[in-house]
Amino acid sequence: MKRWNSVSRVALIAAGVLCVSACEEPKVDVATYQTLQQCLADINMVRSDCEKNHAAARKQHASVAPKFASARECEEEFGRARCEKAPQTTSGGGSMFMPLMMGYMMGSMIGGRGYGNAQPLYRTRKDPGTFRTADNKRAGRSVGRTQVAKSSTARPTAKRSSRSRGGFGSSGRRFGSAAT
Amino acid sequence: MKRISVEERPALAEAAARHEFEFQEGIGIPFWDETNYYQFTEKQIDEDLVKPAEEIESLCFEVVTRAMEDETVLQRLGVARQFWDLIADSWQNQERNLYGRMDFSYDGKGPAKLLEYNADTPTTLYESSVFQWEWLEEAEKNGLLPAGCDQFNDIHEKIVEALSNIGVQEILHLGANRDIEDDMGTLEYVSDCSKEAGIMTQVLAMEEIGIDDDGRFTDLEENLITTLFKLYPWEWIFAEEFGTKIASSGTRFIEPAWRSILSNKGLLPILWEMFEGHPNLLPTFFEDDPAADSLGEDYVRKPLLGRQGSNVEIYRDGDLLSSKGGPYGQEGYILQAFDPLPNFSERYPLVGCWLIASKAVGMGIREDGGLITGAEANFVPHLILD
Repeated sequence: MKRWNSVSRVALIAAGVLCVSACEEPKVDVATYQTLQQCLADINMVRSDCEKNHAAARKQHASVAPKFASARECEEEFGRARCEKAPQTTSGGGSMFMPLMMGYMMGSMIGGRGYGNAQPLYRTRKDPGTFRTADNKRAGRSVGRTQVAKSSTARPTAKRSSRSRGGFGSSGRRFGSAAT
Repeated sequence: MKRISVEERPALAEAAARHEFEFQEGIGIPFWDETNYYQFTEKQIDEDLVKPAEEIESLCFEVVTRAMEDETVLQRLGVARQFWDLIADSWQNQERNLYGRMDFSYDGKGPAKLLEYNADTPTTLYESSVFQWEWLEEAEKNGLLPAGCDQFNDIHEKIVEALSNIGVQEILHLGANRDIEDDMGTLEYVSDCSKEAGIMTQVLAMEEIGIDDDGRFTDLEENLITTLFKLYPWEWIFAEEFGTKIASSGTRFIEPAWRSILSNKGLLPILWEMFEGHPNLLPTFFEDDPAADSLGEDYVRKPLLGRQGSNVEIYRDGDLLSSKGGPYGQEGYILQAFDPLPNFSERYPLVGCWLIASKAVGMGIREDGGLITGAEANFVPHLILD
């Protein structure tokens, strides 16, 4: 019976870390700005990179930003006066709300071809100093040319618009633990 | 197979805190007993547990294969007809299973006898995989155990490996009943293993799952759920509003729908029917089968869809010897030959063999003060020493 590599498992347990996510992840070069003007004001940045990436991020914003059925729910997450009406509606015709775009992040392209793969950034009420992507991945606290974890630069996902919730779970309320 | 008393680890309270287990002064960790351990030989593990468990797994696959062609199987298991295609498709598409726990009555001498297969939502994963391993390491270090002990436990490594091979695209969602701490704990552990396998995860409550106009399942942030690991039984899902929406949702489920055939205790009479006389199987019949008379006066009556020993009744000489109450049984019962759990100092251990991706890679033992292993049973660690 092959014995599991006891040293590394116990070390992981002792460190309170059983997984890779809390450990170091490779970082990549990005450029992050709160506004188009801020990017244009950075002498290290080329005008066309600032503009085309800002436009690309804005274009994605309505599709990828998290959606809420009320302004209150959105502001609970993102802060007062930090939300706007989304172009989408619920299937019942009601309004939906999304956080304001608070910045954009672009990745450094290989071969010195400037910047691309832009995406919009947001800030939550509870952690306003940190930029987050539409999929709630942390994208650092700095403005300008900086580095973030590679997984934070992944393409954000387009959001659905749920018609209803709660179609699972009623048996659990009746029976308790699922485990056997 | 021996049951041996041992001292608790001096730093037990710290171990509990580290793993977010409750700890009570004078009692220790509820449902965990490290004042005793079970000892096995390598040969007992390999020949009496690993080999039979993997063999039974392949017999189970034959039951599923038969269910694809013979509709009486799903009929007798009580699965509603509207889900037959969902189950068949999950099998034809070779949707992969991740884990399961076969429960055996085993005393170290005779062949282990299968009592049931927890093939959908097995409990005590974390204790079996991580906590009892740490017990072994620390107890050894503290000089509480003889030198050279091993443990039938490759569970953690194999789960991570199986997850990395299971083919998750994008992120893995994991769902359970938010109010059950134990279930959420297991979910967090599987989420951790997934991250270790390089998969991004999102944990949520089953009731938080939504559905959009295209019939796709969504999470609270309105992301699509493409793969869902659920610590939530198929038979509950079949009875719920979104159950009939699964086939058209495009969401892949772990465990896949075909596992609902194996987690149903109706599996046991069908195994006996197909493989009568197999050394690791007990004679078992559906309650309304006249052939059940062959069991005589000693038998165990179990609901098809019960959990944790609920609604189980043991009859000896035709009299009720032991039973547990509960809310199950409307779906029908099986009658199984009575093979009593062995008695070790008035404790009755149930040997649970863990299969990860259909390979037997670990064991967890729970002991009750009675013959029916219920939710209050204690997990007791084990070791291998030749």
